[in-house]
This record gives sequence, structure tokens and C-alpha cells, in this order.
Amino acid sequence: MSGGILWGERISLTAGNTSSLVIDSLCDQARREDIAIACLYCDFLAQKEQTTTNMIGAILKQLVSREEIPRDVRQAFQDGKREVGGRRLLLRDLVQMLKIATASLHQVFICVDALDEYLPKELPELLQSLRDIVRESPRTRIFLTGRPHVEEAILKYFAKAVVIPICPNPDDIRNYLEMRLDKDDEPEAMNHALRTDIVKTISEKMSDMCVGTFGVSPISAMYTYK
Amino acid sequence: MAQITNTHTVISGDGNSYCGNIKDSFNTVYKSDDDQQIMRWLSPLEPADRHHGVRTNRFEGVGDWLLETSEFREWRNSDGGVNKAVLFGSGKPGVGKTYLR
Repeated sequence: MSGGILWGERISLTAGNTSSLVIDSLCDQARREDIAIACLYCDFLAQKEQTTTNMIGAILKQLVSREEIPRDVRQAFQDGKREVGGRRLLLRDLVQMLKIATASLHQVFICVDALDEYLPKELPELLQSLRDIVRESPRTRIFLTGRPHVEEAILKYFAKAVVIPICPNPDDIRNYLEMRLDKDDEPEAMNHALRTDIVKTISEKMSDMCVGTFGVSPISAMYTYK
Repeated sequence: MAQITNTHTVISGDGNSYCGNIKDSFNTVYKSDDDQQIMRWLSPLEPADRHHGVRTNRFEGVGDWLLETSEFREWRNSDGGVNKAVLFGSGKPGVGKTYLR
């Protein structure tokens, strides 16, 4: 294998990829102005800033940035400024502002990516707030991604949540490998048989992993192959 | 060679004209300082920027199968209510969290 371009690299065809795909798909199909879409990407490295208030605030921010800022949001901001140091936003105020901002909308989609990267002790509060939003604004649809261990927490707040396993299918993996091999900076070291072998073996190993082999990462699958 | 773009086979059109949401808000310039202050007050997070970064690096065609599943379609088209509100995409450990580069 020339250039070592595949070995040790984390391949992910899921996670942010899936969320961003869903968001863009919703956007492209939302051919009406009364459908709004907001996204949140959880990140280990940003846990400090990713408080529930900031997350829900970010949903509201995306929804109100579509046009004129609603009067009640502007008013709440002005009221807050009058208090010393500026009044902190409260979650329940944000949920109410969201309710008003979305009242005239046909549908609101909220996508939250990588919930397992959200600070675990804040997760119940975030899920509870999302549930409050759905209760206040029943036309809200929520798409969540994360590792399986967050499912339990999600089901506590949304008992009827539908769970769909996200896993790169063999075509996804093959396409990705072909793309990477095309980009190989030492193409002379490659021949057809080797290329076919690489694509076949890695895509098989990754597919096996996805049907339930826990504890095997794509990286170790590749090292095994190597 | 495969293009790394946001286009994929399931949908067509750039969607920008009608979607005043994430795609456009990345480039939104608020008219007044006041508006910018309000936006910062609502939240210091800028998920639309992150979305822009992720989608720029997304690999064409990967994951499209999800959009075709009955689970996704039912979720997207359902009329409302708490019971049908949530779809959870569960990714097994080791699949990796970093998006495609």
C-alpha cells in the first residue's frame, strides 16, 4: 500500500456526515418559507460553551435569523440590558420565544449531531428542553445522532423515539475507498489486483463490524488487514 | 475522480432559494449592530458555521440510503405530536465520530 493513505485514518461515513446530509436534504425539500430548519453539532472540545441554554439559544438564533428579529426577542434583549450586567437568558424564556417564533410555521426541524459528545450531566436538561419545545410547538421534528449508549437517555424523554442504526453500507465504503485510492500520490505502486483486494477486504471488514461486532474499530480492522 | 461536494443523488436543486435556514444564515449579514448583539446574546454558538464546514467536506452519495428509509420518510412527513417527534440515528462504537475528510 503506497503512501499509507488509508492506514490509521479514522473513516467515518456517519456522524456529522449523516446529520449534515439530513439537514441539507430537509433544506432542499423545504420549498416553502413556512418550514424552518436548525442544527446543533455537539463537540467534546466545546463542552464548556455548549450549555443547554446556549444550545437552545442557538436553535432560536437560527430560526429568527431568517428574517426580521421578532419583537418579543428584541424586547427581552432590551429588558435584559437594563439589569446590572445584563440579565441571563433563562431556558424557559427561550422555549417561550421559540414557541412564538415558530407559531406561524408549518414545520420546524431540529437536528442535533453527536449527542454522546455532549456533557453527560447536561444531557437530561437538553433533552428535557427539546421535549418542552415539542410540547409547546407540536410541529417540531427532531433528528438526533449519537452512539448507542445515549439511546437510554433519549427514551426517557421521548419514549416513542424511532431508532435507526446508522452504519456505512458496503456501497458507501467502496465509494469512499475508490475515491481515496484515486487520490493516491504514488499511483505507480498500485496495480489492479491490489486495488481490488484492498477495496474488497476493507469493505467486507467494515460491513461485518456494522452488523454487530462491537469493540472493533475501523482502524483496527484496517491494521488487521495490513 | 469523485467530487467532494454537497450534491447527492437523492435530491436535486441547490435549495438555497427557498431555504432561509442554515445554508443562507452562514452568510447572513445583520443590518445593525443591535441585531448582531441580539444574536450573540441568544447564543455564542455558531452551528451554522460548523454545518458549512461539515457539508463542504462531505463525500458525495454517502449515507443517501438513510433518506430513502421508511423510518426517515415517516418522521419527516408526520403530522406532529410528541410521539412521532424524534428519530435517533444510532451509530455503533468504533464507527468513528469524525466526519469524512
